[in-house]
Amino acid sequence: MNPKANLSRRQFIGIAGGIAGAAALANIPFDAPAQENKPKIDSNGFDIENRHLDVLIIGGGMAGVFAAVKAHDAGANVLMVSKGRVGSSGLTPFAKGIFSYDKANASMSIDEFVDTVTESAIQTNNPVFTRQLAEHSYARVQELKDWGFFDSPLYNHSFMKPLSERNIPIEERMMITHLLKQDGRVVGASGFSLDLQKIVHYHAKTVVLCTGSGGFKPNGFPVCDLTHDGTIMAYKIGAKVTGKEWNDGHPGSAKNSGSSYDNWHGQIEEKPSITSAQINHHLGVDMNYQAYTQGAPVMMMPPRPQRPGEKPKQQAVTQQEVFPAGPFVPEAFKQSGPPPKPPEEGFLRGLVSSKGHSGPPGMGGEQVGGSSAGMAIHKSEGLVPINAQGLSTIPGLYAAGDALGSYMSGGIYTQIGSSLAGSAVQGAIAGAAAANDSLGMASKLDVSEQYLALVNQQILAPLKRERGYSPAWVTQVLQGVMIPNFVLYIKKERMMQAALAYVEELNEHHVPMLMADDLHALRLAHETENMIITAEMKLKASIMRKESRCSHYRLDCPDIDYENWQAWINISQDEKGNMVLEKQPFDSWPNFS
Amino acid sequence: MPIKQISGCIGCEACVKSCPTDVIHMNKETNKAEIRYPEDCQICHLCRLYCPVGAITITPDKSIPVMVSWR
Repeated sequence: MNPKANLSRRQFIGIAGGIAGAAALANIPFDAPAQENKPKIDSNGFDIENRHLDVLIIGGGMAGVFAAVKAHDAGANVLMVSKGRVGSSGLTPFAKGIFSYDKANASMSIDEFVDTVTESAIQTNNPVFTRQLAEHSYARVQELKDWGFFDSPLYNHSFMKPLSERNIPIEERMMITHLLKQDGRVVGASGFSLDLQKIVHYHAKTVVLCTGSGGFKPNGFPVCDLTHDGTIMAYKIGAKVTGKEWNDGHPGSAKNSGSSYDNWHGQIEEKPSITSAQINHHLGVDMNYQAYTQGAPVMMMPPRPQRPGEKPKQQAVTQQEVFPAGPFVPEAFKQSGPPPKPPEEGFLRGLVSSKGHSGPPGMGGEQVGGSSAGMAIHKSEGLVPINAQGLSTIPGLYAAGDALGSYMSGGIYTQIGSSLAGSAVQGAIAGAAAANDSLGMASKLDVSEQYLALVNQQILAPLKRERGYSPAWVTQVLQGVMIPNFVLYIKKERMMQAALAYVEELNEHHVPMLMADDLHALRLAHETENMIITAEMKLKASIMRKESRCSHYRLDCPDIDYENWQAWINISQDEKGNMVLEKQPFDSWPNFS
Repeated sequence: MPIKQISGCIGCEACVKSCPTDVIHMNKETNKAEIRYPEDCQICHLCRLYCPVGAITITPDKSIPVMVSWR
């Protein structure tokens, strides 16, 4: 029995007051929420452009680069579009370890690798994608070596090499807001430029979403440009999405808690390194539980990365022995032994000891929670795949990397460096599959002018509103509701229902009144809507999953429920636009027509 | 302030392109980069690292209140 599961009425009122207070505080630094909109640009002065191609790649991170390259090499006419710059936006620029399963030097077989990940992930992983990671990672890492990826801490140059060599067109600083669907199939995407008053409709036979994951623009983690855009635009055209109940548990440093650079101990200035098989169970919500039950300050020892030539050893970051009632850690993955010494070189040194800190991002020294709030375990959330190529439940629409709910690692982190490797592997496979799919199509589908006019109208709506709410203010309210430790980390049904009431209010009443006065605010308006829909998904999935497992921890349901919850949760819209949740048994593919 | 100052800009736009959160824009009159939306800076330092002339100064404190899960 968990001693903290039964909250007194006074405790509950204290928490409920906290959430309301947090939301109210969000109002402090900004203008009053309702104000007259005075656009600095003319919403009627936008150019409308159209592009026609075989495969559209959305996103310029690790998954996007491989998707574009492999789609091109499969013979398709490819275009890449990105909200930021290739290799310099999303989470890719900050990932410095990449996993490579090298058969020649492997310490375990691929079967052992898959089985051990499954044991650590308590069956939440999809073994097809776990195996795919191991089987393909070495080849992708070799290609990255050829591109010069390991020669610089900055990735733009090495990512541009294969794209330039193939003359693949790239359009950067384009915010994609809509996927286009006709006759049940994806037929392209639309968005606007962050620099010019321009809307572009990309007419494509197939689309690969490499849009990454997202968060609630939290503090101390460089995920503020990712707002689950791909997931939400796919959800809006009927795709099933998954993984919303899992949590990335990265804390932040108490000192300079808003600085991603300082939280990551300057790791961005390190060149990337290769990691080998060493399976953990870490970065769930153990620290959140510690903070909730004991209060601050919270300290933690990091996992020790494997040194070159060293035999792998299972270990985990967990507070289990100190706080036995907290999130369950499988026996084989409990941490033991004295604190590790730092490796002597490479980015892994930075993980353990750099600039007076210790540990991976956020860890070491006194900590604060929720630096990555709104983000799940990498690869656990995103579009539901119907096959190993990353095809979604919408014909022609593929996803890869953090945009794909592949459950490569399941609902917990199991292998350092697998996030970046998984994006490379899945991007390459999805890109090639999307190309083959497009080449099999006789001709392109034309989209009606009426449909495109509606999309234009929806893109520009925040600029046209005369009164409403600023995205910055609405985002701060959302953060005040969703980021506190007692809402989405240490979960209880009543508290999540309370938060859901706030989020539904934001979705129903405030999203339709988000306003923008320039292109930057227009981007924020669309991002804010995506974050709010994501928040609703996260709360509803977390309420539905009445058990605790991996990075999903319910104080009111603290045990694993092997009888009822050997299943993932898929989310989609019904015909009336209602959010519908369903179970999909582990180790199965979705039923869909 | 997060990104605090751009001094000695040569107008190459590397920082504008490499900022994930669209904080920096070109000033069309001066042809130099300027900090336009500091409240959205996530203090990741990509702009500073991509700047070829070391023109960018960044401090670790946010210009808006920091919301965390516990403190």
